[in-house]
Amino acid sequence: MVSRVMASLAEGHLNVPIVCEYKPGASGALAFSFVARRASDGYTIGHAPVEIAIVRSLGYADIGPSDVSLICLVSKTAPALVVHPDSPWQSFDDFIAAAKTGTGNIVMANSGIGSIWHFNILLLEQGTGARFTHLPYGGSAPALVSVIGRHSDAAVAAVGEVISHVRAGSLRALAVFDAARAGVMAEVPTTHELGYPIGAPAWSGFYGPAGMPAERVAMLADAFKTAFETAEWTEFCRELGMEAHYLGKEDFAAFALEQQRFFESRIPQLVRLENP
Amino acid sequence: MAEILAGLSAVLAWQVLGFLAIGVCLGAVFGALPGLTATMGVALLTPLTFWVSPEQGLAMLLGIYCGTIPSGGIPAILINVPGTPASIAASWDGYALTRKGQAGLALGINALASTTGQLTSIAFLAFLAFPIASFALRFGPAEYFGLTLLGVSLMAGVSGGHVLKGVLSGTLGLALALVGLDPMTAYPRYTFGMSEFLDGISFVPVMIGLFGLGEVLVQISDRQSVRASAAAAIGRVLPRIADAKRMARATFSGAAVGTMVGAIPAAGGDIGAVIAWEQARRTSSDGDSFGKGSLSGLAASCSACNAAIGGGMTTMLTLGIPGDAVSAILIGALLIHGIQPGPLLFANNQAFVFSIVFLMIFASLLIMVIGILGAKPLAKVLSIPAPWLWAGIIVFGTVGAYALNNAVTDVWAMYVAGVAGFLFRKTQIPLGPLVLGLILGPLMESNLRRALILSRGDWSAMLTRPILLVFLAATLLSLLWPLIRARRGAAKRSQGRIPDA
Repeated sequence: MVSRVMASLAEGHLNVPIVCEYKPGASGALAFSFVARRASDGYTIGHAPVEIAIVRSLGYADIGPSDVSLICLVSKTAPALVVHPDSPWQSFDDFIAAAKTGTGNIVMANSGIGSIWHFNILLLEQGTGARFTHLPYGGSAPALVSVIGRHSDAAVAAVGEVISHVRAGSLRALAVFDAARAGVMAEVPTTHELGYPIGAPAWSGFYGPAGMPAERVAMLADAFKTAFETAEWTEFCRELGMEAHYLGKEDFAAFALEQQRFFESRIPQLVRLENP
Repeated sequence: MAEILAGLSAVLAWQVLGFLAIGVCLGAVFGALPGLTATMGVALLTPLTFWVSPEQGLAMLLGIYCGTIPSGGIPAILINVPGTPASIAASWDGYALTRKGQAGLALGINALASTTGQLTSIAFLAFLAFPIASFALRFGPAEYFGLTLLGVSLMAGVSGGHVLKGVLSGTLGLALALVGLDPMTAYPRYTFGMSEFLDGISFVPVMIGLFGLGEVLVQISDRQSVRASAAAAIGRVLPRIADAKRMARATFSGAAVGTMVGAIPAAGGDIGAVIAWEQARRTSSDGDSFGKGSLSGLAASCSACNAAIGGGMTTMLTLGIPGDAVSAILIGALLIHGIQPGPLLFANNQAFVFSIVFLMIFASLLIMVIGILGAKPLAKVLSIPAPWLWAGIIVFGTVGAYALNNAVTDVWAMYVAGVAGFLFRKTQIPLGPLVLGLILGPLMESNLRRALILSRGDWSAMLTRPILLVFLAATLLSLLWPLIRARRGAAKRSQGRIPDA
């Protein structure tokens, strides 16, 4: 969705139509490998979600940010912790206190083992000392449904994924895992202000095969930058609860590598922690 | 009442109805070609809707949704290749009717029952949305497990009388469903180190191969073709009044089943149609004709798989929860237009809900007209010389299998499944249970394991859930039914023999 909208906003500046092809599979690992193998002429590029910095640590594909030409980053999405509105936990502290006393009495739905949101739940356990019974689902939507239907107690998913349910009153958001509050949920406190500096956001950018000529990268980055600055993009991000956030080639590369190091250092340790 | 009129007037503009018609026609094409799915159609066209008004965009997307499923029944009936997984059940009676030279009638029933199913489910949406939604929310992991177990066992129990062969096929489907990342631990299973297998085996290429390529291979090896015998006979399209009356009960009960199953997130028309078909068979006075060209059987399955659309929309609009992949994309499309599905939508923007209701009504009426007028021209497919048709099925099957995920692996899966389909047909092992096992396997496995996580590994705790118990009882019944019937038959025969002795 991000790439389709971005593509439609950017193609006017490139004077070539952008054809979006959808390659699902293995947290994006199949798509990363596909793009990385294509000719580096700039005519095949890919959408780089946060998973590009994760799949190697999970062993899905031997590929990471340094194996491709990163172009730019266009959006970021923080995770949020949600519970059922009828649950006894009114605040993040209530919830953590309950999760610390019990021995996994709180059932935490996640959007799949190894997903970015599951990773955030593990960070939450590690950062606060809480323990949950993990209930994996195949994506955020069914995980949230299980909280709404009271089959599980809580879930962590993107602000953009929970915002509609929070507005409708079918879920209660307790915290956003970020340093700054989310624009669409300004009333919800952040983990940082609550004293737990945890959280790994999801992000979206673009990349091409390794060795793309610098001027091609610059041309594409310019086109995406122009698209990024349109009112449509701001509006699209706002509607989906994402944060419009731009990083150019160098900043994006530094950020992606730092993220990869973060996941590489934390994933083995978190897997041990869980030890199911 | 004012809201109903406001909703109606919002969609009674020629641009809106024009986009609706475009959507229905595109949907009809997508549905008729196996491999092109409603999900794909809606996903491809969603970005296009940014440039039109919300009503126009929504009209096009709903048109695709409502147009795809009815037309998926067309190839199921004519060439025994379901256009969508939801039409598998329609191929049992539909293709049997084609072999009898009644292709026209089968297509006519498909059109009429599909629209009846859609309209019934839309009525449920308009008047009973919240009770249905709260029923759907009661489905936790244990209930999903029960539903999927019932689905697979029904398939195995009903297919052609060979229960063991059905169970074999269903189990094979479940086994194939194990390939890929373990749904609970994300550990790769049976992938042989290939990342292409991490997401498992897609069921659409398998379905195309088993039904499409398999059928072609059988016809080639038998050097015979249905078309030779029944080619010219298309027959009447509209059913006789008496037939329609006899089908009415199966059609409406199918619609009710389909709506309920469709409302449950992640359960859709494929399983709904099978349950409705079996229910119609068991309650019919002429149950033995099911699968051999029964009009009621075809009507029940067509009606149910279409009613799942209204069911899915009900869950989506009332709770903001996607009922299936298509409604998940529709939610995204609505959000982009600033419309928030959920309970508040019904409270604050009832006119919009009625706009959706009217758009769906128009779409389903339009697809019925297309289906009936198109029946005779479409049935001309049958008079195409067999070799041409075979070549066409192979070409479309290959393209369809590739188009699904843009993956060559899927094309290979399609060819392997084709050979398997040939062998299955030669040994009279039914194909349906395999596909259903493959579709429902992941849902069944992950929900059983979720249920066990929730009950802390205690199997007996699951048995305290009433909905699950109903499903388990029905599963047992469906597997034992053929045995019970055989014993009863034997008992009757032996009783009958007493006077002779």
